[in-house]
Amino acid sequence: MNNYRILPHEARVNVTWRGQNGDLLEPVPYDASDREIKEWVAEALAGDSVAGIRTRGRVDLQNFVVDRFPAGVNAPHNRIFLRPKTPFG
Amino acid sequence: MNSNPQIVIVGVGALGSHVVLFGRNLPVRFTVVDFDRVERKNTLSQFHSRMGVGRNKAQALGQAMQGLFGARLDVCPHRLTEDNVGELLREAALVVDCVDNAPTRQLIQTSAEQLALPCVHGALAPDGAYARIMWREEFAIDGGGEGQATCEDGEHLPFIATVAARMTGVIQRFLKDGTRLSYHIHPGGLMAV
Repeated sequence: MNNYRILPHEARVNVTWRGQNGDLLEPVPYDASDREIKEWVAEALAGDSVAGIRTRGRVDLQNFVVDRFPAGVNAPHNRIFLRPKTPFG
Repeated sequence: MNSNPQIVIVGVGALGSHVVLFGRNLPVRFTVVDFDRVERKNTLSQFHSRMGVGRNKAQALGQAMQGLFGARLDVCPHRLTEDNVGELLREAALVVDCVDNAPTRQLIQTSAEQLALPCVHGALAPDGAYARIMWREEFAIDGGGEGQATCEDGEHLPFIATVAARMTGVIQRFLKDGTRLSYHIHPGGLMAV
């Protein structure tokens, strides 16, 4: 977790990659495109700047999914989750 | 006639079979729907035993629950289709989606919406390292599972059991006071959504 204040038009980005999970250090615009979010996260992961996630270099997030949850009862700010697909049950 | 509320679980593979196992003390009538058959590899990651190999999954689970715990399930050994979904879900107090394909998830989601039924989805990533438990209103259906290896080698059983236990807790809480909890789950922990 970090201390950046998240403005109403921004969102916290949470990433799950190979069973590891962490937040992007800085908030991003809530209306950023999926492609932009994947690129920013890939850069952050490659730079080892996502606490809780360790990678070995560049990662491929093309098949990942971007979920957006607006601020509400469960969270005071917008949230974006970048996650693997979950086709199985 | 059992007057407890009916919970319909569609899909009793990795998640669904364990939700039934962990939910056996809930004051409900479980109806389990699955057309698939138990394969030997399923016994590594699903609550199905070698005694059930070759049998329909819903029937095998029903027999196991009866034999091990004296718990009676209503069993539907058929594929959920547009022709039978209305009849199967009509009296449900809760629909639980634990299937492994997008078209059936879509059918469950659409039907639950049309029938105004509460519906919770459970979904696993192929590598057994991430899962979602979410209510219909916020659950996005993922495709892309076709041809991928599933969590069936047994390595991911502890994670599958963790997700199923959490899902059973979500059901228990809903039955208690109507609260609808949703989670992202990974091996290191979980986040409320």
